[in-house]
Amino acid sequence: MVNLQNLADAIKVGNRAEATKLTRQAIDEKVGAKEILEAMVGAMDEIGKKFQRNEVFVPEMLIASRAMKESMAVLEPLLVKAGIKPAFTAVIGTVAGDLHDIGKNLVAMMWKGANFGVVDLGTNVSPEKFLAAAKEHKARVVGLSALLTTTMPAMKQTVAALRAANLAGLKVVIGGAPITQEFATEIGADAFAPDAASAVEMVRKLMVA
Amino acid sequence: MAKTNLLEELKKRPLLCDGAMGTQLFIRGLAAGACGELWNVGRPEVVQEVHRAYRQAGCDLITTNTFGASSAALGKHGLSDQTATLNRTGAAAAIREATPDAWVLGDVGPFGEFIEPLGDMKAEELLEIFGEQAAALYAAGVDAIIIETMSDPTELEVAVKAAKRASAKPVIATYAFADGGGGSFRTMMGTPVKDAIARAIAAGADVVGANCGSSLSLSDYVNLAEQIVAAAGKTPVIVQPNAGSPMLLDGKLVYRAKPEDMTAAVPSLLKTGVRIIGGCCGTTPSHLRAMGEAMRRETVG
Ligand code: B1M
Repeated sequence: MVNLQNLADAIKVGNRAEATKLTRQAIDEKVGAKEILEAMVGAMDEIGKKFQRNEVFVPEMLIASRAMKESMAVLEPLLVKAGIKPAFTAVIGTVAGDLHDIGKNLVAMMWKGANFGVVDLGTNVSPEKFLAAAKEHKARVVGLSALLTTTMPAMKQTVAALRAANLAGLKVVIGGAPITQEFATEIGADAFAPDAASAVEMVRKLMVA
Repeated sequence: MAKTNLLEELKKRPLLCDGAMGTQLFIRGLAAGACGELWNVGRPEVVQEVHRAYRQAGCDLITTNTFGASSAALGKHGLSDQTATLNRTGAAAAIREATPDAWVLGDVGPFGEFIEPLGDMKAEELLEIFGEQAAALYAAGVDAIIIETMSDPTELEVAVKAAKRASAKPVIATYAFADGGGGSFRTMMGTPVKDAIARAIAAGADVVGANCGSSLSLSDYVNLAEQIVAAAGKTPVIVQPNAGSPMLLDGKLVYRAKPEDMTAAVPSLLKTGVRIIGGCCGTTPSHLRAMGEAMRRETVG
């Protein structure tokens, strides 16, 4: 019998071969898709928390995310068959003028790891593009990342553009090294997250509220 | 006039490197998100003007405007095919202003993604990419190469090896460190000072150090310098602090460290044993002039 704890552990240390093997094994042994998914999400949650506490760093996050992604690909058909879909879609990107994407990618990975539907628009994304994607994907969440003090105004403009469109129930989450709660309040974002693990918590909170 | 080898000169006296290029170009109208290296071709007079200002401020080392001019970094702007041209023109602009007395450092920055297994880039492929940039810079006549703002020691090793394969000239290699808690410092990849510096030296770097720290105060830089000097042993150390962390005041970008703040840190930095001092983001020719004066006061007095 496959032990789902071993699957979670394989993801946490980024052992892709082991993680995908255990996922296949679990599927063969008819373990429920939901249960398998929960083990994976739990693993990502844990690694995110360790990152938050400075116990692990960017490499460990990246390598765990890769193992998660490959295991998810194995599980995907089963999830589709069982009708398990992400409850909502989140659009994410780095704001106009800004090409930094490491932090944004970590947030996107953690969101995927938490089984949110994620549409990643990449870097240097204009307010218009954020708005168009939010409409197209009927997003419940838009996530904005900025790493440069000079692109913080672009973040403000993006929030303003999203607000002006009055999309029902849309929440805006922002983050990035120079961003503060104070700035989030000032520009009217719904939430600020200082790191990738908090970005998951924030969205979970906003979605139940 | 024949310049001495940079490393020989360093044995005799500490040297002043230049300050920021990127933020100087922003002040002169470079748009956020645009490729600053493109100005080596489009607005070479502006790039030269920045070099000249640093030279006039007394900088001994002039750094080319080629930080993001590896074919991989240029690829983000769809400009990979311009690699040779942008490095050649960048080197030419610096050489014109540095001649005859200052040394020109060919600048090499991170390629912008991760090496396998964290990302998709193969180390062998990256060795070629950095090798191409180093070769273009050396062919244009730079005196040394500076590999800057690295976070991943593996990437830094590859870049040092590529530069050393292209020429036997000196290679300077620096990391961007951040506060690691409890008085320690780490790169974004989590690498502590000791490992980071040991790996740079083992790869063949002739000068090692730090630039562009994130959220580091000037007194943090002094502590960091102490740790780097201890880790570097006989290898000379370079430190290039940024002018504090930038803030937005009324929509305008402001770096808070004034020239006099940076000057105040110079004696302490020299006391730790640092041999090259320069500046990173937000520093201006005025900062560097003041720092140079402080440096001369310390070394002559
Ligand atoms: C949606 O909700 C959310 C929620 C949370 C969110 C979120 C969104 N987004 C992030 N978070 C949060 O979660 C993440 C994980 O916990 C965290 O993400 P972070 O992104 O903060 O953290 C990442 C996991 C790791 N951190 C990083 O990825 C940034 C690391 C440093 C070293 C850095 C890097 C790597 C790069 N850089 Co740049 N770079 C620096 C950085 C200095 C440093 N040591 O921090 C910084 C950010 N850079 C800076 C600068 C100035 C520049 N960089 C530039 C270029 C680059 C590289 C290309 C070389 C590379 C980017 C590679 C890439 N693919 O992203 C240039 C700008 C290019 C552009 N237009 O964007 C250039 C202008 C340099 C130049 N002269 O050309 C500085 C910005 C200063 C400022 N405040 O304005 C800088 C702080 C360095 C410094 N000491 O001055 C949280 O903030």
